[in-house]
Amino acid sequence: MRLVSYRARRQFSVAAIYLTFGILLVIFLFPVVWVVGLSLKTRLQIIAPEPLFWWRPTLENYLAVFQGADFLHAFLNSLVTAVGAVVLSLVAGVPTAYAFARFPFRGNSILFYGLLLMRMLPPIAVLVPMYVLFSKIGLANTHLAVMLAYSTFSLPLVVWILRDYFEDLPRELEESAWIDGATYAVAFRLVVLPLVRPGLVAVSILSLLLAWNDFLFAAVLTNNATRTLPVLMASYANGDTGVDWGPMTASGVLVVLPVILFAVIAQKHLVAGLSSGAVKG
Amino acid sequence: MTRIGRALDRRRFMAGTLAGGAALYAPIAKPALAAPKPEKLVYVGDNGPWHWSLVEEVAPAFERATGIKIEYTLLPFDAWNARLRAELSSGSNSIDIVQWGISMAGWISPYLADHEPLLAASSKADFDWNDFLESTKQAATYDGKLSGIPYRVTTGIVHYQKALLQEVGFATAPETYAEFLQAAIACTKAGAGSRYGLGTFGRQGTALQIGFLPWLYSAGGRLYDRKTGEVLVNNDVAVDALQFYADLFNKYKVVPPEAMTWEFDDIIAGGQNDRYAMVQMFSPYGTLINDAKLSKTAGRWAWATVPGHDDKSQGRTWVDGHLLAVPKDGKNNQWAFEFIQLACSKEFLRKSMERGNAAPRASVLRDPGIVEKLGWPPVAAIAMESGIPTPSDPYWPSLEVQLRSAISQAITGQRTAKVALDALAVDWQRSLRRAGVGK
Amino acid sequence: MAGDNSRALPSGGALVARVVPFRQRVSSSPFVISAITPTIAVMLVIFGAPLTLSLYLSFQGWNPTQPLFGGHAVGLANYIDLLTDWNFIRSILLTLGYTATVVGVELAAGFAIALLLNMDVPLIHLLRSLLIVPMMMTPIVAALCWKLLLDPNRGIVNYLLGSNVVWLGNADTALISVALVNIWQNAPYVAILLLAGLRSLSREPFEAAKIDGANRWQMLRYVVVPMLRPYILVALLLRTIFEFRSFDNVYVLTNGGPADATMLLSVFTYMTSFYRFDLSLGAAASWIMLGISLVMCAFFIVVAGRRKTK
Repeated sequence: MRLVSYRARRQFSVAAIYLTFGILLVIFLFPVVWVVGLSLKTRLQIIAPEPLFWWRPTLENYLAVFQGADFLHAFLNSLVTAVGAVVLSLVAGVPTAYAFARFPFRGNSILFYGLLLMRMLPPIAVLVPMYVLFSKIGLANTHLAVMLAYSTFSLPLVVWILRDYFEDLPRELEESAWIDGATYAVAFRLVVLPLVRPGLVAVSILSLLLAWNDFLFAAVLTNNATRTLPVLMASYANGDTGVDWGPMTASGVLVVLPVILFAVIAQKHLVAGLSSGAVKG
Repeated sequence: MTRIGRALDRRRFMAGTLAGGAALYAPIAKPALAAPKPEKLVYVGDNGPWHWSLVEEVAPAFERATGIKIEYTLLPFDAWNARLRAELSSGSNSIDIVQWGISMAGWISPYLADHEPLLAASSKADFDWNDFLESTKQAATYDGKLSGIPYRVTTGIVHYQKALLQEVGFATAPETYAEFLQAAIACTKAGAGSRYGLGTFGRQGTALQIGFLPWLYSAGGRLYDRKTGEVLVNNDVAVDALQFYADLFNKYKVVPPEAMTWEFDDIIAGGQNDRYAMVQMFSPYGTLINDAKLSKTAGRWAWATVPGHDDKSQGRTWVDGHLLAVPKDGKNNQWAFEFIQLACSKEFLRKSMERGNAAPRASVLRDPGIVEKLGWPPVAAIAMESGIPTPSDPYWPSLEVQLRSAISQAITGQRTAKVALDALAVDWQRSLRRAGVGK
Repeated sequence: MAGDNSRALPSGGALVARVVPFRQRVSSSPFVISAITPTIAVMLVIFGAPLTLSLYLSFQGWNPTQPLFGGHAVGLANYIDLLTDWNFIRSILLTLGYTATVVGVELAAGFAIALLLNMDVPLIHLLRSLLIVPMMMTPIVAALCWKLLLDPNRGIVNYLLGSNVVWLGNADTALISVALVNIWQNAPYVAILLLAGLRSLSREPFEAAKIDGANRWQMLRYVVVPMLRPYILVALLLRTIFEFRSFDNVYVLTNGGPADATMLLSVFTYMTSFYRFDLSLGAAASWIMLGISLVMCAFFIVVAGRRKTK
């Protein structure tokens, strides 16, 4: 070991680290990059006998996707249901999280474990009865149905993560507000909420992502008019796969792009949220 | 050509046909129906490669005549089934036109209207109900109720590249299993890796049984007896048939390896790309693999009925089809039925033949122009005479899913045919018992 | 130390309900009631009611031709039919084995990646951002992409490997392919989670170990891993639950085949409910699946709670 100087060894280990990073990047990003590449190729270029690594990119696939009404329609549906799900979860979940943190109530454990159970249950266990129930009350194939279904994973998320944030807040601020005569509700709205804004951002982002990416609930609870992007994408899966790679990959890129951009920009919040025992998937 | 590319190109090609279609329909009086006119009609069907005519020809003509748009929901087979089940059984009436397959008759018929009175009240004098093939009319009738109007009838016939078979010594298509095996092996050898002897459906999905059934039936095998609930799929004849089929994959290797992922669209693409010399599949797919605009192998195909086990006369195949129907409690039944009559009219069914459909009308199938252009209709007509319709019992989906597993196990070589079919018999007995059939 | 740890590791606390001093019991305040009512309402509607209906259905015999509530009570017949069906048992075993393997690999890979990402070298932030991409992709889209990549004739994987293996059409390679796609998507998630843990560790134990003459491997084994335990447990729990019910990837890639090689429980239940439309059987199958999930969950909570001292 003494034959090689400390500096050389250090340079070697730095180089080794960067090499590993490079390998990691290739493993995790090459598939994505390749598929983006496919979306920029013409059909002939895609089915060329030798895969092309260098070509003149074309936007014709993206144009084709936008021309078909399906994609934009599904995009709007995805947007509406995702935002709606987040709003619903926040409205219901944030006060609940606060109650958990500050006002232990009877049935506290039951509710907690109920939320845990809700997060853990396989969607398939509730899908058919959920569809039947929604049909009976006239909610089948509506956006609201999907938003409600998404709260199975968003609501527990909101409650858990925000409960931790609320617990970390020093009680003095609220207590001084209470002493000054503010009601719990007012104190909550004006004093406490602004302080947990990072937490709110984190859960909103996470919930949005989960709702945007969901497939199973949307597949069962929507029809042609209300289907979201993942459902549209899945309809390509068992159909024209042998033929339509160009528009299919273009659609896929368009579905994933907002999510990735959003996630990369909001990375800090995401990590904070994830590490608070948060969930994905 | 991409699906969208196809659509764009065909738009020009279609212009003339549309004009013709509209001209044919326009002189007929605009339907003056009592029911209020809806803005659109919702059609739920599968996404098989034969809907072009409905989407690009019938719907515009209908809209031109009535002002009503048709909104198509075309789903993959399993999803389509699930959607219809869920919507119809939950009492929702958001579907106006139901497209259903023969195999669904048992469970879907109770939710559909009786079409006899609708036909009787119809104003279309030239609809000519008698022109429809008798077997399709029977398939449309379940428990005595006419539950739909046939739109598509398919049967399994052999499509083969004539020149390739001549090169290996077959002037006509093989007539027995032994001949077939010989031809397949020879063609695979001649294809030298770029082309194989037989294409078929390998993916564990709904198409899997289509590839196997003719081999079963032509050897004298059957699936089950719907009256007694007796399971017949694991008797000796059936086991031999499945083993023969499985050997084509594993022992003789005459099937392209990627056929293990093939379903409907892929098998057509395989034919268009010259991956196989012979294939047993839906009769109307013959139009698509022979189409000069789409296929590398255009013009090379010929057609024959499926081979028999020892003799040509033993050859028997399956018959399937799709029908259009209005639901029992549909909101817009009168207008929906107008659409159905238009779609199933002689004119449009004839046109649909060129877009990959197989019309259930005798006049269309025997039309000399069609026969000349497409080639396979006479063969299909012969095959249908002795063909065995797809089971339509309400519990067939359960049986079919279990059948998929067994066939898949055999063709991947995971189990011998005997083991796979014996296990299948146990599963079927359980399913039949659950459905209240037999013991 | 205990207070600091619990602050830095809220995830540990998330698993166990906390006890709050008696003097703050204000459980009957109208504020509290209005705060928790929406949540309870939502839970009942989308969770309680369907689950109860599902349970009810699982005890009904149901013929596909009957309307939904037209069955008759058959006690445990559906459960017995499932548990005597070798296909179902096989599916359970397959799913358990698949889950264990995939979670194990995800954890190992995620841990290794986290260690790497913990280094303070230039461009590390960029790398962290980029590695998030697979886990953020819509699973359906990611699966579709891999389906193209694994295409036997035109996929890039076969080109680069110089092979023509039919990855998704071969009973031997199909499950591995599905597993690899899952691992590819989720190892970064484990890495991010463990990285957060790594970055929250205090320096003292490391200093102490260094003074004691520990080398890198020993530090890893005796200092890092024990201190990361809560994070590792959370990652284990979450990944186990989600891999157990994995559906999107299999649905797109193989649909349960070939030869039932990828017939995971979620696919089996889905096919039973939505294709065979044997709703009572599907309900029984989903309750069995739920039961297994609960057992796994309880196991983790017990393990996490047991040693949550210090």
